[in-house]
Amino acid sequence: MSSSLIRALLLAVLAAVVAYPIGHFVVPWAGWTFFCASLGLQMVFHFKNFARLDRWSYAPVVDDSLEGEGAWDGIFGRLYRHEKDLRAQIAARDEEIRMLIAAGQALTDGVVLLDDHNQILFCNTTAEDQLGLVIRTDRGQPVVNMVRQPEFVAYLQGEDFSRPLTLRSERGEDRVLSIYVIPYAGNRRLMQVKDVTQTDRLDRMRRDFVANVSHELRTPLTVLAGFLETLQEIDVDRDEQKRFLEMMSEQSLRMQSIVQDLLTLSSIESAPPPEADVVDMVNIVDKLRRDAEALSAGRHQIVVESDGQGDLRGSEPELVSAFGNLVANAVRYTPPGGTVRILWHASKNGAEFAVQDTGIGIDAKHIPRLTERFYRIDRGRSRDAGGTGLGLAIVKHSLNRHQAQLEIKSTPGVGSRFAARFPASRVVGV
Amino acid sequence: MNESVHLSSQFDEDLSRLRTHVLQMGGLVETQVSAAIDAYATGEIASVKSIVETDRRVNELEKAIDDDCAHIIAKRQPTASDLRLVLGISKIVTDLERAGDEAKKIAKGVRRIYEGGHMPSQYGVGIRHLAEAALSMIRQALDAFARLDTELAKSVIRADTDVDTEFKSIIRQLITHMMEDPRTITTSIDIITIARAIERIGDHAKNVSEQVIYVVDGRDIRHMGKEAAQ
Repeated sequence: MSSSLIRALLLAVLAAVVAYPIGHFVVPWAGWTFFCASLGLQMVFHFKNFARLDRWSYAPVVDDSLEGEGAWDGIFGRLYRHEKDLRAQIAARDEEIRMLIAAGQALTDGVVLLDDHNQILFCNTTAEDQLGLVIRTDRGQPVVNMVRQPEFVAYLQGEDFSRPLTLRSERGEDRVLSIYVIPYAGNRRLMQVKDVTQTDRLDRMRRDFVANVSHELRTPLTVLAGFLETLQEIDVDRDEQKRFLEMMSEQSLRMQSIVQDLLTLSSIESAPPPEADVVDMVNIVDKLRRDAEALSAGRHQIVVESDGQGDLRGSEPELVSAFGNLVANAVRYTPPGGTVRILWHASKNGAEFAVQDTGIGIDAKHIPRLTERFYRIDRGRSRDAGGTGLGLAIVKHSLNRHQAQLEIKSTPGVGSRFAARFPASRVVGV
Repeated sequence: MNESVHLSSQFDEDLSRLRTHVLQMGGLVETQVSAAIDAYATGEIASVKSIVETDRRVNELEKAIDDDCAHIIAKRQPTASDLRLVLGISKIVTDLERAGDEAKKIAKGVRRIYEGGHMPSQYGVGIRHLAEAALSMIRQALDAFARLDTELAKSVIRADTDVDTEFKSIIRQLITHMMEDPRTITTSIDIITIARAIERIGDHAKNVSEQVIYVVDGRDIRHMGKEAAQ
């Protein structure tokens, strides 16, 4: 028993001890009166403190108003300390939770926490962005209310989470998401959302590449085999034979150029950085114009717009072949009577080589994939025009090796502009 | 006492499940519309079949949800906002189902064009833009319903005006094409059907948004002009 309690008890006993002789020696009622009055006083004192505690307990605050008198002081003090400790603990815990949430926000993958009814408990900003959620308004909402794609709904209801779900996001621009659902703490679920757009694109390019190489080589091979079979089995006259052989050699040349381009591409990819010879651009632009005129055979107007200054550092054969490719494409895909412009501008901030045509143009959706190997806008057309489907892939690689960017702008029916932008470090003589 | 608490939470659960079903149906319609647009852009008419198949599921869901609505009204006799929710839902599903039908129309139009050996690419940009706008309207209308967000619903209603304007300009453009070259008439008529269907999808999205405002505010702003959505 604490000393303050003993003191409170002693006070009551003291009142009795004083009251007794009064009652015994003077008159009994005086003793009783004294005893009751002193107990009553104590009672008033305790009641005052009790009322204070009662008031405080409705809205416990940590401040100095919690101060008692006498025996109550200890109790108030301990309550005050208890409340203070509790608040400190809560604050520390809050801080801990805030840190955990901050860690969740820092993840580069999207994270969504779901309760046992698949309702959203938490999601980080990455997930908000990927799935179109807004945690402020969507907390407690079933996740399928917001991510409504049937594949996702079926996956979540299917309860088989051994494989991730690959989802083509409807909200973002053609994003591909990989969604993992991980059960935790009983029936709760954690949804991890990875953005696999890049990987998916690479995968598709690799698959397409193999399929395309096979296809591109098989077509001429089929023709060759067909003619060989015909020649073996049927007697054909000399003229016919000559025609067949011409077609066969045409096809074998085609195969050769595809293989040649493939080899060029792979050698560019694996080669060391290009040497830093100075490439005389004025000379090259002039040569490109002559080549273009020869290829066009007078059907197009070839215009050169050049500052007549500025040269590039790099590998001459690679650059000439890349520029030549752009010019040849422009001539090939511009109907007779059109104009092909060869532009060369160099300044201290860098240089730009561009080819602008008034050709058939390219639909915007094809432009990002144009430099993929064997990517064709229209399967028949470019092969008829004699392309291998690797030209722009080689151009892009050659330019990238010179830290240059290939920029393509095009409007269907109006024309295209292919520009190679070189950084200042590659430009000399300005 | 205990029993009534239990019943009312059961009721809440019924309503929440009903909403989720509506949104699932909405998800199917969204998929249909976006697949139809893709088919138009890429000419992959293989997806036409799956759009038609999805439509069957949409129809089934429509019937099931209508049935649920009737059950809830009969069994629970909902009042005030609960009643508005149920009434709103029964109208929303009708609009969603029709939007799905329009997507089917687009898909079939695309198949006709490509099977006829034509390429709609020269009208591609305008139509695709219109379609993206309509798709985003239907997506936002469903978001507004899921979040009971009247501001978003109002913005969908306002967006409908843009879609209508764009639709009219596409029609004018097509008329010019047809006058210049009568050979394009067959394709142009198919494209008009598609544009019309897209425009209708926008209208259905607008109707859904109007119902969202009715559910939340109890205000019926149908046929009141776009000022009501300010």
